[in-house]
Amino acid sequence: MTPRYDAIVIGGGHNGLINAAYLARAGRKVLVLERRELVGGAAVSEQVFPGFTFSVFSYVVSLLRPEIIRELNLPAHGLHVLPLESTVTPMLNGDYLAGWADHDLSRQELYRHSPQDADAYDEYGRLMHHMAYAVRPILSMLPPDPTSLSPRDLMGMLKFGKHMRSLGDEKFHALHKLMTMSSADFLDEWFEFDTLKATKSASGIIGTFLGPRSPGTAYVLLHHYMGELDGVFRAWGFAKGGTGGVSESIASSARAFGAEIRCNAPVARVITKGGRAVGVALENGDEFHANVIVSGLDPRRSFLQLLDPKELPADFADAIRRYKFRGSSGKVNLALSELPRFTCLEGNAPARAMLRQAAWRGAFSISPSLDYVERAFDDAKYGQFSRQPYMDIIIPSMIDPGMAPPGKHVMSIFVQYAPYNQQGGWTDANREAFGDAVVNTLSQFAPNLKSAILHRQVITPADIERITGLTEGNIFQGELALHQLFFFRPAPAWARYTTPIRGYWQCGSGTHPGGGIMGASGRLAALEILEHG
Amino acid sequence: MNPAVQVRRAAYDAIVIGAGVNSLAAAATLAKAGRTVLVLERRAAVGGAGSALEIEPGFHADAAYDDIGWIPSSLVRDLDLTRHVRIVSSAMPVVAADGNDASLTFTASGPDLDGLRRLSPRDASRWPEFAGRVAAIAGFLRTLYAAPVPDTALDQAGDLRTALRLALKYRGLGRRDMVEVLRVLPMSVAEWLDDWFEHPLLKGALAARGVTHSAFGPRAAGTAFVFLHHQVAARPGAMRSGLRVEGGIGAFAAGLARAAQAAGAEVRTGAEVRRITAARGAVDGVELASGERIAAARVVSGASPRHTFLELCDPARLEPGFVHAVSRIRYRGAFARVHFSLDGLPPLGGDRASGALVAPDMDYLERAADDAKYGRASERPFVRAFVPTVADPSRAPEGKHVLSAHVQYAPYRLREGRWDDAGREALGDRVMDTLERYLPGLKALVRRREVLTPVDLEREFGLPEGHAYHGELALDQAMFMRPVPACSHYRSPVRGLYVCGPGAHPGGGTAGVAGANAARTVLADGAP
Repeated sequence: MTPRYDAIVIGGGHNGLINAAYLARAGRKVLVLERRELVGGAAVSEQVFPGFTFSVFSYVVSLLRPEIIRELNLPAHGLHVLPLESTVTPMLNGDYLAGWADHDLSRQELYRHSPQDADAYDEYGRLMHHMAYAVRPILSMLPPDPTSLSPRDLMGMLKFGKHMRSLGDEKFHALHKLMTMSSADFLDEWFEFDTLKATKSASGIIGTFLGPRSPGTAYVLLHHYMGELDGVFRAWGFAKGGTGGVSESIASSARAFGAEIRCNAPVARVITKGGRAVGVALENGDEFHANVIVSGLDPRRSFLQLLDPKELPADFADAIRRYKFRGSSGKVNLALSELPRFTCLEGNAPARAMLRQAAWRGAFSISPSLDYVERAFDDAKYGQFSRQPYMDIIIPSMIDPGMAPPGKHVMSIFVQYAPYNQQGGWTDANREAFGDAVVNTLSQFAPNLKSAILHRQVITPADIERITGLTEGNIFQGELALHQLFFFRPAPAWARYTTPIRGYWQCGSGTHPGGGIMGASGRLAALEILEHG
Repeated sequence: MNPAVQVRRAAYDAIVIGAGVNSLAAAATLAKAGRTVLVLERRAAVGGAGSALEIEPGFHADAAYDDIGWIPSSLVRDLDLTRHVRIVSSAMPVVAADGNDASLTFTASGPDLDGLRRLSPRDASRWPEFAGRVAAIAGFLRTLYAAPVPDTALDQAGDLRTALRLALKYRGLGRRDMVEVLRVLPMSVAEWLDDWFEHPLLKGALAARGVTHSAFGPRAAGTAFVFLHHQVAARPGAMRSGLRVEGGIGAFAAGLARAAQAAGAEVRTGAEVRRITAARGAVDGVELASGERIAAARVVSGASPRHTFLELCDPARLEPGFVHAVSRIRYRGAFARVHFSLDGLPPLGGDRASGALVAPDMDYLERAADDAKYGRASERPFVRAFVPTVADPSRAPEGKHVLSAHVQYAPYRLREGRWDDAGREALGDRVMDTLERYLPGLKALVRRREVLTPVDLEREFGLPEGHAYHGELALDQAMFMRPVPACSHYRSPVRGLYVCGPGAHPGGGTAGVAGANAARTVLADGAP
């Protein structure tokens, strides 16, 4: 007789684990089933090469909701976030632009490039701060169904409308612009310095199949502005031990609350009976039963693979079919024999040496101009990885020396664009060509890089899909586009974690508010299950 | 008695700046309501960008547009327009070709379904449902466009009424279309069409409507909105083509002017307004380039927001935040016009065809837009050619023809080169070569050509940066954001000054809607 659970969570990614932890915390008997041999989904740390540990996919922490850290007591379970203090953008003319966690330092640096932009920077920062506060309540709001007349939905719409009106005209209009403009156009209204605009707009394109000049990217710019770390807005961080450290701490918390987590347990299908989910079947045929089944997988897997789509209402199945993934990013992980020397930071002056030391502990952004990033996107539009890609780079071993053998380093390179539908497919040859494009481009800025490479791991969107299960390699379980957010995520009328199958719930990033290691989906879904399940 | 007070006694209830279609609709609406109105037009004739152009003696083209887009039947009725113009819904087919074997004919109501069935049975079977979705959303837009957009604060009775009407209309759509309105408007036209169709020729031809008068390509979010904007008031089951007027676009403006005059408005051409005069924070009239001053209690400007507030007004006297907002309006004109006089009928390839479309697939459009992003005219432009002489032979000498090409993308700001004679000729050559590829034999028929670059369109018709709609039509510049939030109700922060051009809600492609809405706002505000 198989044991009986109150709830079964499919997928041990961070949202699945958070969901399980909250359910267990409320006294439910919970089982988490993870396909791979380790938990974390796309937030895993693995020793890819002997002695070298990588945050294989997702690599920075900033969006994780503070209430989750608090309520699940994650620091006690080993969560330790080390701040990333800077972003350096090498410029094509050999100069650089540095941005710091400290606003005044950034302003000073910006003044060097454009006094006008330095002035605008203060006001811009204030606006984005206000905007982030304006959007924040929406992130923890349950999306109402705008087409429903049920009291609950009407109340929800009223609450949403009231929140919007409470912003006042000026902020409401600014929010409207952020939701609809391209990041390039939005930034053009504020700044003149191209490298600044490029670097800022780059945060607006992460995980999307859009370029900085595509409308809709200004919003993602804000999404990434909302990082909260210890209550400090906007700070980015790096988890000790890599992002796997975040997953481990959540898993540990879930276990402490009594949840059971099984790895190497791939779920083949959800068992339904009379239109109700009653359990799951593993690939090996084992069955587990529970009244509540929660999927942390993306919408396509949750509904079109784990279920027979025929069991779903036709319009819902259609909505899930047209839900867009379009993975656009790849990852290159390097094991290095020495630190990369960026030409723009070379020099013997003590100030330079200090800057260099600081920069190695921060991020590097390969986004020298708006045109550069836009051209990278142009390649992808027509099915080709960027010949000169945008890259976001960190050197985790500089922050957590345990990630690499003494004196050696690991480098994490997030790369856009690598379209899922690469022309000719993601063959081994194309994967290597993509890796070469990354290394060659980066070598233009850090010439010693090539000779410092000991090992190289190239991850294409097809690899992301194969390893983590994220459809089309989309790191957010579906594009963060206006028509796929809030009450549309993942489908109209089903944005509140429920599904058309009774007893079957969803809690992945493919639900509101989605994307990033935020965890809000997992938490909100758990709260809904506890209230209505 | 203070002499200044005497000057302030208005000679007119309202002065309307410009005699474009929207200005004339505003003037006619005001005059109908019994206001004394003076229209002041810089050029020698009315019409503005809606004017005719003579390529060579006897060959008459429509300068900037081929059709008047959409005009609400209520406006036709209110202004008694049927007495002055004959509006014909264009039944003339346009042929889209891919440059090889495939072609698809579009009539006023959409693609020829038999032809489409040959290209893709799947697309043909899906068409009726798609057209139904389009009509539902476009019908909602029609309600939205019929009045000033309700202010988000809903602090005026009129706002609340409009908001309620909109809410009811929205509810009336039914569940599926309620969702579609919200979902589709922010999408890219490419994504939306990909959800429905497979044949590149169909998708290219439809996507072309989503990028018309835009600097964006079909993959840009919000182009589905532009597509639907151009479909406003489409009837169930059918697409809507732009309405045409007998005698061409110039005849429409002339008819509107006659309607305004019949209602008592005065129209002066050759009268350029140099500035809008104001005293104690309220307008009191205008000053012409000649130095003449004309007093009026209200000034309604059909000029672009930029020209109105930053040039005709003294920006130093306006609130800085407002000036900042106005100066940030995006224009980015990206279209050009190339007119040809021809010795014979061009090979349009369809029975009674009157136009040809060069937009063979969505990637073609996207690549054309890519060029514009980097400040170049498209190497392979999107071209919509229209031959008005098929329906109206009187516009050219017997047996001769006129072909007008709408060309995208020709960005106003070039990174290299300029829109001088050389740039103009290079563009003309490129368009001719492009058309020759799709309409072989055209070149041999060409007598003369006339090229209007974005810079020409700006100089000639006051289109800011050559943008036909006096401001890019995008979601962040539409509805309560158009032209800027502080005058999205046509009322500007300067007392007595209103905007009525396509730079205001709902924007261009709708004939006289902004003008009539603005006039209604003026009337609602009562006596000054």
